Amino acid sequence: MAPSNIRDLLTAFNPSLDLFAITSGDGRIKIWDTVKGQVQTEFTDIVSEEDTSIFAKRERGHLSVDYTCMKWFTSERKKKRKLGCSLLVLGTGGGDVLALDVAAGQSKWRVTDCHAGRVSAISFARSGSSIYTAGADGMICEIDSLTGNLLGKFKASTKAISSMSVSADGKIIATAAAQMKILNLSDHKKIQKFSGHPGAVRCMIFTENGKYILSSAVGERYIAVWNIDGGKKQSASAVLAMEHPAVFLDSRCIDSGEVGDAGLYVLAISEVGVCYFWFGKNAEELRNAKPTKISVSSEDSLSETHRGSPAIFAAILQGIAKSASGQIFVATGLPVKPSFQKLLVHSGTDIKLSSSRDGVLLPISQSLVKSKRGQDVQNRVVALDRANAEDALLPIPKIFDSHEKKKKHEKLRFDKDEVMADLEDSRSLSGPVKTKDGTVEFELDTGAICMEDRLRSLGILSKLDDQTIKSTLNSAAFKSIDIQTNMPQKKMRAAVLSMVPSDTYKLLGVLVAIWQTRSSSGNYVLPWIYSILVNHSHYVMSEEPETQVLSSLFKVTKSRKAAIQPLLQLSGRLQLVVAQIDKATNTGNQILLHEDQKDESEDEDEDVNEIHFREEDDDSEISSDDEQ
Amino acid sequence: MIGGGKSYVSAPPAFSNDAKRLLVCTGTAVSVFSTSTGLQILSLEGHTALVTAVIVVPGNKALSFCWTASLDGTVRYWDFAAAELMKTIDIKMPIYSMVIPALLLGQTDSKVMPADAFAYLSVENTTQDNAPKALRGQIRKCSLTESRLAGVILAETRKPEVISISPSGKFFGIRNKRKLHIWRAPAKDSKLPVAKITLHHTRNFTLLALHPTKRLVAAGDTSGRILIWRGFGNRKFSDGDKLVNQGSMNDEEGRPGIRGDDDADSCTTWHWHPTGINLLRFSSDGAYLYSGGKEGVLVDWQLDTGKKKFLPRIGSPLLYLTDSLDPSLSALSCADNQIHLLKMPSMEITKSISGIKLPFSSPDVYEGICSKFAFDDTDGLVALRTENYRIQFYSLFDDREISEVQVCERNHQPGDEVSVIVTLVSLSGDGSMMSTVEVNLPEDGIGGLVCLKFWASDSQNKNFNLSTIVYQPHRDAGVSALAFHPTRQMVVSSSYGGDFKIWVCSDEIQQKQDTLQHSGWMCYAVGSYKKKPMTAAAFSADGSVLAVAAETVITLWDPVNNMLVAVLGEMQMPIVTLSFAGNSDYLLSISRGSKPQLSVWSMSKLSESWSYKLDIEDVTCAKDSSSFAVLAHLPKSSTFMGSNEPIFQGKDGVILLFNATDPVPLAMWSVRKAKGGGLAFLKGNSFQQQSIADGKSPQALLAYINADHEYILFDPYDYDARELRMTRGKDRVAVDETARYGYASIYGELPQFEMKRDQTLLAPYAPSQRPWETIFSGSSHNLLPLPKLCLEFMESLLERRTTTVE
Repeated sequence: MAPSNIRDLLTAFNPSLDLFAITSGDGRIKIWDTVKGQVQTEFTDIVSEEDTSIFAKRERGHLSVDYTCMKWFTSERKKKRKLGCSLLVLGTGGGDVLALDVAAGQSKWRVTDCHAGRVSAISFARSGSSIYTAGADGMICEIDSLTGNLLGKFKASTKAISSMSVSADGKIIATAAAQMKILNLSDHKKIQKFSGHPGAVRCMIFTENGKYILSSAVGERYIAVWNIDGGKKQSASAVLAMEHPAVFLDSRCIDSGEVGDAGLYVLAISEVGVCYFWFGKNAEELRNAKPTKISVSSEDSLSETHRGSPAIFAAILQGIAKSASGQIFVATGLPVKPSFQKLLVHSGTDIKLSSSRDGVLLPISQSLVKSKRGQDVQNRVVALDRANAEDALLPIPKIFDSHEKKKKHEKLRFDKDEVMADLEDSRSLSGPVKTKDGTVEFELDTGAICMEDRLRSLGILSKLDDQTIKSTLNSAAFKSIDIQTNMPQKKMRAAVLSMVPSDTYKLLGVLVAIWQTRSSSGNYVLPWIYSILVNHSHYVMSEEPETQVLSSLFKVTKSRKAAIQPLLQLSGRLQLVVAQIDKATNTGNQILLHEDQKDESEDEDEDVNEIHFREEDDDSEISSDDEQ
Repeated sequence: MIGGGKSYVSAPPAFSNDAKRLLVCTGTAVSVFSTSTGLQILSLEGHTALVTAVIVVPGNKALSFCWTASLDGTVRYWDFAAAELMKTIDIKMPIYSMVIPALLLGQTDSKVMPADAFAYLSVENTTQDNAPKALRGQIRKCSLTESRLAGVILAETRKPEVISISPSGKFFGIRNKRKLHIWRAPAKDSKLPVAKITLHHTRNFTLLALHPTKRLVAAGDTSGRILIWRGFGNRKFSDGDKLVNQGSMNDEEGRPGIRGDDDADSCTTWHWHPTGINLLRFSSDGAYLYSGGKEGVLVDWQLDTGKKKFLPRIGSPLLYLTDSLDPSLSALSCADNQIHLLKMPSMEITKSISGIKLPFSSPDVYEGICSKFAFDDTDGLVALRTENYRIQFYSLFDDREISEVQVCERNHQPGDEVSVIVTLVSLSGDGSMMSTVEVNLPEDGIGGLVCLKFWASDSQNKNFNLSTIVYQPHRDAGVSALAFHPTRQMVVSSSYGGDFKIWVCSDEIQQKQDTLQHSGWMCYAVGSYKKKPMTAAAFSADGSVLAVAAETVITLWDPVNNMLVAVLGEMQMPIVTLSFAGNSDYLLSISRGSKPQLSVWSMSKLSESWSYKLDIEDVTCAKDSSSFAVLAHLPKSSTFMGSNEPIFQGKDGVILLFNATDPVPLAMWSVRKAKGGGLAFLKGNSFQQQSIADGKSPQALLAYINADHEYILFDPYDYDARELRMTRGKDRVAVDETARYGYASIYGELPQFEMKRDQTLLAPYAPSQRPWETIFSGSSHNLLPLPKLCLEFMESLLERRTTTVE
């Protein structure tokens, strides 16, 4: 892979990370919208508004300017949230410093011939409105960011300054040629001196807390970490090795965050466009830290011959998500069409980014390949027609379906019967057996159902139910209650009142079940239920949400109630019919009698018919779920 | 708290004197954009209601003053270079339009304000009652120097009209149904009353434009005609200034096209536009007339010859054309919330300022089933359906568009009949996948086609690529809901045809030179419940349970095994939305219609936990807690609107924040334009949030988008910030904060407030009018015996005859 070189690129993100400025130094600056991934605007020939003055003789054309450094300046005055307060500050090879108001698309101010020779570095403190520039003449200039007035100038070095940085609090400044100097900004006194870099330092930054300086010189394959308050110590406190020289540095340090968060985070980009990320709890740990590499996956052989393979050419540490991992915003790809990504980098896990070839003009031979691939992309769209569900997980076969539902149905019904389950465990055991029996049988012979068999089986089951209920009734708590006999109201009340509320509630459940299963005549059961409801209504109400006895009672009552009307109708019609027959044959007396009997025994009939009906009709199986 | 999503095209913009800045009315603020970069420079904030007019004071290029008028009844004067408010005039009537002739009458000296500057305002008379015939619109004169209304009412109209002014400042006019009223602005020191003429036409006018130098007025009508009167007002206006009026004889033959006794020389008609004219403007030199309408073509008429030039394919109805003092720069406002900067003689679009896509109306049949918004809660994006068959991704944090995805490969012409509608859009939890549903409308009942599409994106920029297209996913039935599995690549689509399908993405790696991810979606499972229409679907937070609403009941499924787990029910109206309340075991169901209801179901008890009879517009659940927020419509009852509680003035909705375990809301906010609005909890990343919540990193942010696609983000749990926001609330979007007593004060008032605790699990058997529908349903123990059923059933089928037995 031909290593692309991003040395000559100047890049800058704006503070809110939604704009990205890139220039190769030839006077054209492209501003990319990082959110959309599009070019927002381009500055080719910046003409300041007041250029009609004496400086107008300057030659025009973007090739006449060469930018040597670029920084996006913000003053941290968050209260006045003016959108226009961010400036792109540029230094030129001719010693000019200019500021662009990117949003307005115009030059804000320009300091002509600020330095004799090229401007080599721009830096500013986090708070404050001054911008500091350093030049090849060894001078440091302080410029007011709002007006562009030169506020001060002092000589920091006798040699050309290659890099310069101002600490976050704006109190000290570091300048570097080959030798690094720390100066106090207020009185320009030298505080400290570091020597160790063999060549000119290319990039240098203060850590956020101002305790360390990170620096890297041209041709060096490491980043040196210098301790500022280390007194006379002359050597670097840590050296972070890289495979290629660094062109860009960024760091975060958290001094007193939550436990485990504290540490130094260093981000660097090498000349070939690989991003390195270190984390250490302190400088000592940082020394031994292994870098986490973020690189763009090398393209296929086609692009190797081509100039410039995709690289990471800008990155910024956005923040620290949690300990040992940082949120990094990177610009990757080719400088002609960068793409922007947010990455969460965990220390120790390398990241390979895939690159896209969007917006790249390729020679014809390759564009064929490209177009082929384009077809591929189209071919990859899967189209399904209306028979799309053929090999889908089967929508539960019909029988299985009803089985499932029945099971669920049983289960739910069983939940309702929990009262009884409380009373006797055996019932809860017999319950599932019952359901299984019923359903298995149901499944097997759905084709031809022998009604008698079914009736019998269910009849037996209901007998079982009866037995359990009876056994419950016979249990110790309910000795005083004799369901089968007709007790006077007062006696009944006394019996109910004598019981503990929880017992009565259980009894209520049992009674409801009895009535439901018709194991005992309603004539006997209903007075008991009535009595319990009257005398223990509060307790019953309080228990209701869990057990729903009342609701099932209500339901049963309702259904019975609904049955009354048709029953009366039926009996009425039968009477009518009988009367007519009677009229015709004059032998009606007996039948009428018989009819009356039938009417009375209706309750028992229902029992049978209900089961009968349920197995007859499949639809009813399904629809019976309605109510669950 | 941040707001955004403002309409850029609610009012005509204005250029600054040096044409480098463009002042755009954006909601309650005026935003200043740079014309060279298209970026916002600053905004003028101070109005408390929609800004309806912005007028830049002409003059020196260095002058940067403007007048604004707003529906809050104030006229304000600003220095827009420094974003400073300099003067406020309170009219106390909502202002819909404003012109200041004095600014244009040649007083371009450095004097900031002419001594006797009058503004003409189009105001709404709010004092009148809501009589149907009331003339609510008034044209009033206002003295800017004395800060008061001056003089009489110039005209009264049914609604407030937009005032047009000639660039020379001599005339201004309004349309009033089939008439045009044109006034001549009085000269600087004349005490004469304002003179007025009226021109008539047979159709309703839509707007008018006045020529910069000549006495010439152009007006557009609803049929797309452009009428041009030359030499209007020669009789009435000529007394003051003897202009060239050679043909002002009163012979009818000499005045072609003039109706009745109208005061004009001649009237010509041009007809090119098929529908009503929205845009009409003379070029600054007066040689051309620009017109535009719904069809989205800017027509450039040569005034003398009537020759036309076109700028087609703008793609959206045109609204305003604004020209600057720089003759080569104009701004064209379009209905899709874009402002195009035109390079003028060639009519070339150089730059576009685009905002959030504005709501559009789809055919009524599909109105109900369309999903309004899909949110990507990690990136803070909203996906909106746009009119031109696209999905727009809009960043709520950055207040700007991220990308647009063309869903249907089809050209959109704004005037065309709609043939395709994108009805549903859904985003996966990580935002990397999207699925859409589009409906090809049948023509004459033939050819209706439903299409389900799956999209995938790899980058942050949301460049979605189509991965799978499914034609007729549910046979002929429409898709009612789409939902993504929270963790897996799984989508459920439910249909009105009575089934739901679970789709999964099968990843394949192609063995090519480079690993291309081939991912196709296929149907994994099909389920149905009693052939009932499936109306809503949702996955639980861990993805283990799938809830599908079968009209009035909720069915719970195991999505992997395609197994019905449980059935919950039942509601009185079909359920339209289902949502699991975060990671808690509660499920929310919403039904609308005549008996709207919000129900919270407990999954552990499989029963209803609590419910409200509220008309819910939207619901959102926080991902990692049990709280959820609903957007409810305020009832239309007069007790509410007429109540003297100020918090409900003009509000039609409330946002209620609940904890799923507790029916008492945690907080309440009243909002405007809730109908068609949306809610979402956003996570975002903490770095962006810190700037919103003043350095604090909130748990989650609540985003509210109203019907006009304006949105606001705020921290719903931040009780301390309530007071602060209450003061700011009014000038922000539409959200006002109410303190907690606000809820308590209305708690008793809510007429349909009804808590239904202890809902029975099993609905009782109730005989209905059509017994065979319910007769066979119900569990076995309460079914009637067969003979009885038969009797009733047969009886219900037969007609009852009233014959008597003899």
